[in-house]
Amino acid sequence: MKQEQFEQQNEASWQAFEAWLKWHGKRRKKDIATAPFANSEMPERYRLVCLQLALARDRGYTQALVEYLHRLAQLGHDELYGAQSGFGQRVLHYASGGFAADVRANAKWVLASALLFFGPMLAAMLAVHQWPDFAYLMLSPEQVANFETMYGNESRSLGRVARDASTDFQMFGFYVYNNVSIAFRCFAGGLTAGVLTVFYLIYNGLSIGVVAARLGEAGLAGNFYSFVVGHSTFELGAIVLSGAAGLKLGAAILAPRRMSRGAALRQAGRSIIGMVCGLAVMLFAAALTEAFWSPLKLDLTIKLAVGGVLCALTLAYFALAGRHDGT
Amino acid sequence: MMPPERRRYSRMLDTLRPVTTPELIELQLHPAGLLVRSLAWLIDMAVRMGITMALGIPLSLLGKFGGGIMLLVYFLLEWFYPVLFEVLGGGATPGKRSLGLKVLNDNGTPIGWGPSLTRNLLRAADFLPFAYGIGIASMLLHREFRRLGDIVAGTIVVYRDALGGLPVIATAPPLAPEEPLDRMTQRALLAFAERASNLTPARQEELADLVPYLSDPQASQTRGPRGAARLVGLANHLVGRQA
Repeated sequence: MKQEQFEQQNEASWQAFEAWLKWHGKRRKKDIATAPFANSEMPERYRLVCLQLALARDRGYTQALVEYLHRLAQLGHDELYGAQSGFGQRVLHYASGGFAADVRANAKWVLASALLFFGPMLAAMLAVHQWPDFAYLMLSPEQVANFETMYGNESRSLGRVARDASTDFQMFGFYVYNNVSIAFRCFAGGLTAGVLTVFYLIYNGLSIGVVAARLGEAGLAGNFYSFVVGHSTFELGAIVLSGAAGLKLGAAILAPRRMSRGAALRQAGRSIIGMVCGLAVMLFAAALTEAFWSPLKLDLTIKLAVGGVLCALTLAYFALAGRHDGT
Repeated sequence: MMPPERRRYSRMLDTLRPVTTPELIELQLHPAGLLVRSLAWLIDMAVRMGITMALGIPLSLLGKFGGGIMLLVYFLLEWFYPVLFEVLGGGATPGKRSLGLKVLNDNGTPIGWGPSLTRNLLRAADFLPFAYGIGIASMLLHREFRRLGDIVAGTIVVYRDALGGLPVIATAPPLAPEEPLDRMTQRALLAFAERASNLTPARQEELADLVPYLSDPQASQTRGPRGAARLVGLANHLVGRQA
C-alpha cells in the first residue's frame, strides 16, 4: 500500500486517538460526553497504532510519518502502563505488615547495623564510666557543659512552665528536618560502598553513648532518661534501619555476586525502598513524641512505663506482623 | 551478555535506547545529558527558592510556630519536591517540563512511587563530595547519562517531544522513476522531500546535484523538471499521489 492511501485510510483514527490523549490528559474536567471514544476502547486502539507503526517502519514510509506514529504510540504506552491504582490501599497493606516482613527479610543487615550502632554506644558508656575525660575526645567542654545544663535540675526547658506550645512545634519541625535528613543521608551513604553509612552509625553511637554516660556521671540520669525513654525506641530503631538499608546498598557494590553492579544495585534498591519509607514514618512519630510528650514533667515511673509499652509494641510489631500474608 | 539488539545499537554513535513493548514494537528513548539536566535543576532551584520566600515571609510573623512550619517546608522541599512532581505531575518537575524532559523507568514505562523515591533520596549520595560531584562524574561516564540514583532506581531521564501534526510533502506532479529504486534511495528521496521546505532553494539544488542520475537524467526520452523539483516529483510518486 502506498503511503498516501495508508494515511487517508487511518488519519481519522489517529486524530481520534490524539484527541483522546489530550482529553484524558486534562486533569480536572473529565466529562464522559466530550470523550472522542470510550475509555474501554483505548487498549485496542493503542494496539492498532502499534501495528500501524510497525507497518510504517516495515514499508519504508517517510521518517516523519514513522516519527508521528512513534510519538502517538509512546503517549499511548505512557497512559496504558502508567496507571497508578490503589495507592492508599498499598500504603495500608505495607504498614499493616509488609514493613515488618521487609525488616525480617533483611534481618542480617539490621543486625549488622545494630552492632555497628549499639556496640560503640556501649563502649563509649563504659569508657566514660572508667575515664570521665573520654567525653572530651568526642565533645568539646562547652558542649558537655551545655548538655549538663540542658538536663540539669534547674533547667526549665523540660517543663510546661517555660516551654510553650509554639516552642514544642518549633522543636517538632527541627526534629523532622534534622533526624529524617540524617537517616536519609545514612541510607544514601551506602553508595560510597557503605563507608559513610558505617561512619554515621559509629559516630552517632559514640556521641549518644558519651552524652548518656556523662549525664549519668553527673547524677542527671533521671532527667535524661525521663526525656528520651518515650521516643528512643522509634528514633534509635529508625537509625538502625537506615543503617541496614545503607549497608545493603554498600554490599551490592562491594559484592554484587553473580550480577553486574548495576543489576545488583537495582535489586537492592527495590528491596529496601519500602523499609526506608517506613523508617521515615517512624522518625516522624519519634519527632511527635519527642516534641510533645518527652518534655512533659511527669513522674519517672509513668515515663518509663509508657516508654516500655511503646518499645514492647514496636518489637512485637516487627516480630509478628505480616507473617500470614501469603507473601 | 548483551542481547543482539543492544549490541547492534551500541556500535552506533547514537545514544538512543531501544525498548521493546509488550505489543512487540520498538520504542526509542532519547536520554538527556548533563547540560540540559543541570539547567532543569537550576530552574527547579529557582522554583523552590520562590516557594521558600513566598511562605517564609508570612510565616516569619508567626514566631516560633512559624519557624517550625518553615523547617517542615524545608524538609519537604529538599526531599519530596521532585518525588511529588515526578509521580503526580506526569514524570517531570517544573524545570524538566519546561525543557521537554521526562523521567521514565528504563523499560519505558512511567515512573511510580518506589523508583522516584529511590532516585531522589539517593540525591544525597550524588551530591557528594560537594555540588553533585559524584552525580556529574557518573552522568559523564554512563552511556545513558545516569547518575547513581538513576542506576539504583532503574530510571532514565529522556527528551519527550510534544505531539506535532502529520508532516506534509509538498504537492507536485508525480514523476515515475526511470527504473526501480532500491529501499535506501526511496527513503533518501522521501526524507529530502519532507525537509525541502525548510531549505533554501540554493541548498536544495546543491543536494539534488549529489544524485545526478535521479535529478538530471541524460536519457533523451525523459521529460519533466530537473533538479530539486524532479526529486520532489519522484517523492510524490513514491507516496502514491495520483497525477
